[in-house]
Amino acid sequence: MFVDHDDLKDEWKDAREQADLERRLRHAMQRKPAPVGLKQRVLATARERRQHRHGRIWIFQRLAATAVLAAAFGGFAAYRQHEEHEKEVQRGEEATRQVLTALRITNKTLDRVSTRLAENSR
Amino acid sequence: MRQAVNWQPDFEALVEEHQSMVFSIALRMTGDRGLAEELAQDVLLELDRNLHKLSSAEHARFWLRQVAMHRSADALRRRKVKAPTLGFDVWDELEERHGLLVSEGDSSLSIRIEEMLASLPEAHRSVIILRYQEDLTPDEIAATLKAPVATVKSHLQRGLKLLRVKASQTLKEYVRGS
Repeated sequence: MFVDHDDLKDEWKDAREQADLERRLRHAMQRKPAPVGLKQRVLATARERRQHRHGRIWIFQRLAATAVLAAAFGGFAAYRQHEEHEKEVQRGEEATRQVLTALRITNKTLDRVSTRLAENSR
Repeated sequence: MRQAVNWQPDFEALVEEHQSMVFSIALRMTGDRGLAEELAQDVLLELDRNLHKLSSAEHARFWLRQVAMHRSADALRRRKVKAPTLGFDVWDELEERHGLLVSEGDSSLSIRIEEMLASLPEAHRSVIILRYQEDLTPDEIAATLKAPVATVKSHLQRGLKLLRVKASQTLKEYVRGS
């Protein structure tokens, strides 16, 4: 089997150069230190945002509570109004019934009077 | 698993631990220190908002890497930050002006490698950053970038090839001399 030593040499050199480049890349590409004050700025902004978020949540909670109370009061008022209306209708119906009863009684009394008058005239 | 369920994230400790990683990714992706600092701050603040979704310290690290890469790529596209495209003529000029070449040690070489990296296409740069800065395997890089492993391997090979071509003139002395 024929082995070209020049080819082998080139391959070996190529692999060595590649490995060397990778080693140098690893060395050159170590992490850079973060800028001074980055952590403090991040923490301060995060704290500020959290407070802002809590503030907003608190406002929403207040608005929601107000809406619930308004709805409850509104509902109660509407219920009371409806109840009043119902009672009024019932009172009206009762009055109508009483008037009709009074008319029936009057009618019967008049019938009786009319019958007696007829008997007397005979 | 139990550890993941019981994980109590400490935002301040996470920032302390990962600020350098996030900043380095942003810096190497954008090549702009100011923008990188801004991006690192945004990513860490996003971590604060998403802390409840993370289940372990490893998950937080993975999430930070992923978001830092994505935000940097977005920033590059949005701001159209041009990576410094330093050709060999610029290298020569730098050498002439600052006498960086023969007598300089690893630090100048590191600067050169950084600048050559910045001149790579974004896709190649991102896999090289994750491979050599973060020491991730191609599988882990694929998971971070949500890309197929074959694509990652191909970008890695092409990126290294490009770096070798770019470095061939200026780094020969160092590579042979080592």
